[in-house]
Amino acid sequence: MQEIDLLLQGFVNLANDPMALVLAVMGVTLGIIIGVLPGLTATMGVAILLPFTFGMDPVSGILMISGVFFGGIYGGSITAILLKIPGTPAAAATAMDGYALTQKGQAGIALGTATISSCIGGTISIFMLIFLAPLLAGVALEFSAAETFALAVFGLSIITSVSGESLIKGLIAGFVGLLLSTVGLDPMAGFPRYTGGFTELFNVPFIPVMIGLFAASEAFKSLGQEQTRHEIKVVIGRIIPPWSVFRGLILTILRSSGLGVIVGIIPGAGADIASFVAYNEAKRFSKNPENFGKGELKAVAACESGANSCTGGDLLPMMTLGIPGDAVTAVMLGALTMQGLQPGPLLFKDHAPLVFTLFAGMLFCYLALLVVGLNSLRLMSKVLEMPRSVLSPLILALCVVGAYAINNSMFDVGIMLAVGIVGFFMQRWDYPPSPVVLALIMGPMAESSFRRALSLSNGSYDFLYTRPITAGLLLVALVTLLLPVLRRRKAAVPADPLSPQASAAQ
Amino acid sequence: MNSCDSSRRISRRSFSGLMLGLSAAMMVSTGAQAADYPVKQIELTVPYAAGGGTDLVARAYAEVAKKHLPQAIGVVNKTGGAGTVGLTEIMAARADGYKIGMGTVEIAMLPHMGVARFAVDDFTPIARLNAEPGAITVNAEAPWKTVEEFLAHAKANPGKVRVGNSGTGAIWHIAAEAIGDKAGVKFNHIPYDGANPAVTALLGNHIEAVSVSPAEVVAQVAAGKLRILAVAGDTRAKGFDQVPTLKEKGIDVSIYTWRGIVVPKRTPKAVVDVLREASRKTAEDQAFRDTLTKMNLTWAYVDAPAFKEAMDKDNVFFKTMMSKIGLAK
Repeated sequence: MQEIDLLLQGFVNLANDPMALVLAVMGVTLGIIIGVLPGLTATMGVAILLPFTFGMDPVSGILMISGVFFGGIYGGSITAILLKIPGTPAAAATAMDGYALTQKGQAGIALGTATISSCIGGTISIFMLIFLAPLLAGVALEFSAAETFALAVFGLSIITSVSGESLIKGLIAGFVGLLLSTVGLDPMAGFPRYTGGFTELFNVPFIPVMIGLFAASEAFKSLGQEQTRHEIKVVIGRIIPPWSVFRGLILTILRSSGLGVIVGIIPGAGADIASFVAYNEAKRFSKNPENFGKGELKAVAACESGANSCTGGDLLPMMTLGIPGDAVTAVMLGALTMQGLQPGPLLFKDHAPLVFTLFAGMLFCYLALLVVGLNSLRLMSKVLEMPRSVLSPLILALCVVGAYAINNSMFDVGIMLAVGIVGFFMQRWDYPPSPVVLALIMGPMAESSFRRALSLSNGSYDFLYTRPITAGLLLVALVTLLLPVLRRRKAAVPADPLSPQASAAQ
Repeated sequence: MNSCDSSRRISRRSFSGLMLGLSAAMMVSTGAQAADYPVKQIELTVPYAAGGGTDLVARAYAEVAKKHLPQAIGVVNKTGGAGTVGLTEIMAARADGYKIGMGTVEIAMLPHMGVARFAVDDFTPIARLNAEPGAITVNAEAPWKTVEEFLAHAKANPGKVRVGNSGTGAIWHIAAEAIGDKAGVKFNHIPYDGANPAVTALLGNHIEAVSVSPAEVVAQVAAGKLRILAVAGDTRAKGFDQVPTLKEKGIDVSIYTWRGIVVPKRTPKAVVDVLREASRKTAEDQAFRDTLTKMNLTWAYVDAPAFKEAMDKDNVFFKTMMSKIGLAK
């Protein structure tokens, strides 16, 4: 195969360019740091770094940016697992089980699994980008507003599987999230809704809400707890999961990676959606779905491999068609264009050796992510040894900085603090925060694509059942929605075999 | 506390004398400030997110301007409200030249939609740096080879031809409305969340056309996937010399999105002059022009007077268009 030759040649080129390798490792490290800090996203990291790459050669510049992108997606999981602070929206799903594992004293293994899953998911996605790009690029074009709407509905149905103990409380939280997601400019008519005259509310301030819900509320909670003088010795334990444990995760990682690539290819859907979808499917295929939310290692593996495999999927339509699906790839498109590499159908034809050197470099980036990630974990885990009386104000300070950094706006800091107080009471009364986040991601997407689809079909509702992908996704959404009910029934009749919903899912 | 006590002790006359002296000193210092401007770093506010087109122009400008100004320019992104948040901040900044802004065409659009606290006159233009015209682009497989064929089809099927734009009330929506208005056809306008998703929908044949700028479809046109039928500009677009303008076809529409340096209204003339001179040198610097070309952005430098004229013309145009299509408030 021609691709293999080109890729091998790419590795040779890369080996002769040690500066590019050094910059790639620097990019990954920087990305992890950006990911760890709440509020600093991969998009922001990539955008800020972009001007610095203008003076570099194409391989070094693009690899450094890719490193930040990959590291930024992965880094969010570290604080999500250790402190329940998702550094990025994608890590909100990881926080559920990851933090539960930390509370059980298994922080090390959760972090190790997250790192290894991220690396595997990312590597698989780059391989799919290399070998299946022409085949998969079409998926991006198949997705019109109707399909995007169905995907968003499927995303919303996942609320049932991230609700935790009480389905009703989860649905209430999700509904509140949906109401919040109507704040802002009407996506079709452009009129401000529920903004109270604040231009800052033209877009739902999603990241400040997320930081408030997860991180600030957690800090408030621990401020309210009695501060014990003696320090609790936290055992990080082993980081790399034993083979016997890891073997059980392989199938989950592979499945999540496949899902992540597909979600990444779909325009407008990114790592946040991928990690929630991967979580949902891991739970659906699990023999013990009741463990999810209480510290299931498979959930961490699914979320992280799903989120990171999204990176290759995101890059795929950007590089092959020249159409960026989200903000990060839009900036990367700018980076490639600046280097004289116009992404699009001609890129592979005109610059094949260079493109394959970049692919080889991206695989190297994921290797670097594994090495840097695993080596940083012991250091990162030190935060757990900090006394709570020091850690909580520190977290709160990070929340303020993170909320401010998104738009350089104090208004967002206010939103974050207000939501943090709401989140504190939600936690006290056992309302899960994940459905709110999910509704805030999916709600605007569902609304705008539904209305766009209606507009595209001149007002006809036929698109709901005449388009196969739309109908299929809506069906999957229905199954996901009914699954908890079916499960409860099954719990009542234990002899029932386990087949029906598993086959329905496929 | 101390100052309060001491002020009570001084007599009224000496107090007024003090105030006079103070204000004189302040005036001198303002004058001195304007004369040695700039003495500290200048902040360039960008009303859109890092990594976008406006941001890239700003960063390229800031980078090259280093050579032509004694102080560096730092870029700060103030996003939100479709540009309103950042533009409002530029308008309300202290008029001392240390906080300048990357103004965009939205300065002339948002005031008519009832969402902005500013108007065109609240800004003093320094220099326009970049401008992109609208265009009609269709899929390469589409049956229409010329803009006449396309418009004839649209005329025969009123409300059926779907034209994707970058958002309701955004520049390319107004462009498509203006084209429809002047050509006497009714399009079905489909708003997307920015230009890229609209182009994606066109590539997937989910819509018939997009009204975004040639720069935003250049890669697909080069690859033979999309075809530009006409440009809505005063002259043919650079790099697309064979594509006619709508004006050549008798449809009098010229609509540009532009980006340029602006400062608050009351900025002293001395400061404005320093910035104008530095902006001219920066814009004419080959490094700046090369950067824009690499990013598929069109260099369109004009100095303050011409920039002001263009802004005022746009202001009138958008005012009429917004009320025509029912977006005005």
